[in-house]
Amino acid sequence: MTATTPAAPTATGPTLNVTPLGDIRLRFSGIVRSEWIKLRSLRSTVWCYGLIVLLTIGFGALLALTFSHSGPSLTADQNNAIMVQVATLGVNFTQLIVAVLGALVITGEYSTGMIRSTFAAAPGRIGAYIGKAVVLAVSTFVIGLVSIVATALVALPLLAGKSIHPALFDWSVMLPLIGGAGYLTLIALLAFTFGTMVRSSAGAIASILGLLLVVPTVLRIISNLTQAAWIQNVAAFLPSEAGGKIFAYQDSVAGAPTQTVTHTAGLVDLTSWEGLAVLVGWVLVFGVLAAVLVKRRDA
Amino acid sequence: MPGDSHMPSLEYMIQIEGLTKRYGEKTAVDNVSFTVQPGRVTGFLGPNGAGKSTTMRMIVGLDRPTHGTVTVGGKRYTDLVAPLREVGALLDAKAIHTGRTAYNHLLAMAATHGIPKARVHEVIAMTGLESVAGKRVGGFSLGMGQRLGIAAALLGDPGTLILDEPVNGLDPEGVVWVRKLARHYAAEGRTVFLSSHLMSEMAQTADHIVVLGRGRVLADAPVAEILNGATHNSVRVRTPQAQLLAERIAGPDITISSTEAGVLEIAGITAVQIGEAAAASGVVLHELTPVSASLEEAYLELTHDDVEYRTEVSR
Repeated sequence: MTATTPAAPTATGPTLNVTPLGDIRLRFSGIVRSEWIKLRSLRSTVWCYGLIVLLTIGFGALLALTFSHSGPSLTADQNNAIMVQVATLGVNFTQLIVAVLGALVITGEYSTGMIRSTFAAAPGRIGAYIGKAVVLAVSTFVIGLVSIVATALVALPLLAGKSIHPALFDWSVMLPLIGGAGYLTLIALLAFTFGTMVRSSAGAIASILGLLLVVPTVLRIISNLTQAAWIQNVAAFLPSEAGGKIFAYQDSVAGAPTQTVTHTAGLVDLTSWEGLAVLVGWVLVFGVLAAVLVKRRDA
Repeated sequence: MPGDSHMPSLEYMIQIEGLTKRYGEKTAVDNVSFTVQPGRVTGFLGPNGAGKSTTMRMIVGLDRPTHGTVTVGGKRYTDLVAPLREVGALLDAKAIHTGRTAYNHLLAMAATHGIPKARVHEVIAMTGLESVAGKRVGGFSLGMGQRLGIAAALLGDPGTLILDEPVNGLDPEGVVWVRKLARHYAAEGRTVFLSSHLMSEMAQTADHIVVLGRGRVLADAPVAEILNGATHNSVRVRTPQAQLLAERIAGPDITISSTEAGVLEIAGITAVQIGEAAAASGVVLHELTPVSASLEEAYLELTHDDVEYRTEVSR
């Protein structure tokens, strides 16, 4: 890599501006375009998104192939529930990938020093921060939705072979499928806010995976030992638990009026919309916290 | 036509007033005030750890000053409508994501301001990066990273160019190129502010020099003035009759020192006068050499007490 010679300086010096730049200025739309270029030009992004598509379809197809039932024919609700389960099974795994990706989007810039270039170009910082979040959210949602819907389409003939005929385009099925993509998006954003606060890849990934995997397990163990209802109720508001409701099939047709928190033997059971609201709340709280830190800290 | 879209004027002046930056107990920049004028190259000189980079980072709003203000063209950097258009900065050759290609890095930077792709290709050509533009930055040498950083700084064809240690890691050809670039930009009436810890580099490039030591401004003057102010000319004399000569020329403004037997370092008197005095008293001279302090020595003298990390050898 030595074949680099600077452009031959002219008599007066190096050749400079040839392209007229006109009245260029910093714009939010420009920041979003810049962040989109950044996201798609890293191999890790391409790998992560590729893996999401493969895992979602792979796990869904596997479940559809191995599914078996006997006994009386299934109700319409049961047919639909099976479809939702098949199409969103992969989300349990791909949530870990989007968590890593969401953290890396920002920690990769801190660890390489790129963040200084980013903030020098967009010194308000909040614009760059929100621009990154928007690009991450839209990309994750689109990839998530495409892979989940593709899984449903792949599973449809496989399930038909087992006399399972879900109403794929019924809202009660479509909403959880869209919810699966929404869940992935919100987890990616939550990881992004963690990454912004922690600024190190290892720290951010450890904390988001800890919150998604370790904390629910620990709470479950404790509640099993103590039988304390309040611990189970706390657990119900964790991102993974509340968020899990977003892509769960609900017998009561989705789109029904928002239900209040129902108490079954003193236990909280969130509906899909409530779960969504809780997870959005997590993202907003940490999002604001991270934004304050971004604005205040030296880069 | 180079720079014809620009009407450079005083609006590109960098003004620094009472700038202070503390990191906990440590004061990196201590009540620094100076201006960087358009139309000339201003060198920012100081030993490593003197606070040069911190000052430059505060100019472009990356570090928040503890006290004081810094403005570019009368505005704080964060208030600029088109930051890359006003100020191009190379702050740290490592401020680039290693997983991205050089081209994509520049494309992403350009996109923030709607700078056309043609300009991206242009700065790649200007900095001689054509052959590696499609390669990922992680594999770049220090010199190539430096060129990419300079390319990014030039993207907006800025009125103010800030380069922190631009020649670090560059080959001799690249060093000459940066020097020409800086001169060219200044000649167009733009503001050019370059840092270095090497006086020799500055002396060849800068018109004006600000010397920083331990976070304080030690000097802020034209290059020639800094050299003259700090230069103390002396004469080296080699003679077997050192003792006798020293006695003959001794005077109130004359300092005589000796580093080895038979060699005198004499200041405050010219070589002509020493030669005549020697002849008058019959002293044999083996050598009579006027010694002017080098630029490097002038700089060392200025920063002598303000070097934070000093090796025993250099004392």
